[in-house]
Amino acid sequence: MSLTCIIVEDLQVAADYLNRCCEKSGQLSVKGHFAAVPEALAFLNSNVVDLIFLDVEMPGATGFDLLDQIAYSPKVILTTSKAEYAFDAFEYNVTDFLKKPFTYQRFLDALKKIPPAPSDVTENTITETGIDHIFIKSDGKLIRLNNEDILYIESMGDYVKFVTGEKKYITHNTIKNLEEKVSKQSFIKVHRSYIINIDKISNIRENGLFISGKEIPISKAHKQEVLKRLNII
Amino acid sequence: MGSETLPKQFIFNEKMDKEALYSLYTDDFAYIEEIFATILQHFDADFSSIQLAFENDSLEDLKKAVHKLKPVFGYTALLDTQSHCKNFEDLCADVQSVSEITEPYTHIKNELLEAKDIIQNEYARLKTFNANQL
Repeated sequence: MSLTCIIVEDLQVAADYLNRCCEKSGQLSVKGHFAAVPEALAFLNSNVVDLIFLDVEMPGATGFDLLDQIAYSPKVILTTSKAEYAFDAFEYNVTDFLKKPFTYQRFLDALKKIPPAPSDVTENTITETGIDHIFIKSDGKLIRLNNEDILYIESMGDYVKFVTGEKKYITHNTIKNLEEKVSKQSFIKVHRSYIINIDKISNIRENGLFISGKEIPISKAHKQEVLKRLNII
Repeated sequence: MGSETLPKQFIFNEKMDKEALYSLYTDDFAYIEEIFATILQHFDADFSSIQLAFENDSLEDLKKAVHKLKPVFGYTALLDTQSHCKNFEDLCADVQSVSEITEPYTHIKNELLEAKDIIQNEYARLKTFNANQL
């Protein structure tokens, strides 16, 4: 098992200790340490990790606030010095609850509780394509997304983010793979990191287009094709 | 006297729980030195937050600041101080105003300063001990 993780913890010694446990285990790659929730959220908005070690009480916002705002559901191990949070931990379906300071053995026991990734997680996560919809696997469920609801699809390394007007869904896939799977009538690749819903474009500039206020780059290689698809008078 | 006569084990201050230290770090004294250094590097800032919260008459901030510093005494096995921090934190939740806990505050403040002295002394001793192990 090799998982990516971040540490969200405002006490430096606790973060250092945890970081060392992660290194020692040989099972985790620590992608960052954040001492406050906003910094962690900013990172998680553009990066996907498998696991978060999350302190609860931090300046400005709590660990539970982070869980309320995050767009996907990585595994979470709470690290706190307050046993009273155990009930909330249960409510948030966290994998385990480590009371600081914990021993290395207790840390390893927590890692053992992380369920193995589904065997198909590295496969194409779009299971069915239709004319007007797709099904994606996200958070262990099959979710139907109507083409008309999808604004754009953005690459995030080994993952992609489906952005709708209501919600964002992150799933294991690549833009290259999706390019073949999504409806060519509704979608077009405009950049190596973006496939967009052509009906959702509000305006286009020299090297970019706007969808719901978000500027999306158009690469030179795709520009002609994009212009061809638009109903330009 | 050669280096073979140097003590193989470090004897910690009696207020530090040896079993708790061993359970966290085994006998990796270099790592314990590192942990103590990190703690001392941040101690004053975290301690100031406690003082500031008290001076500003903010119970919520006082509770949070003590809560933040509390695990430090777990990592240094000063378990009585850790437990007293927990009691003080609970006390903050039970009262309406900082003025009600002036005496416990003075007590915990002094205990935290004493704890810092212990950590500082143990850090200095560990540094010497580890240097002599090389």
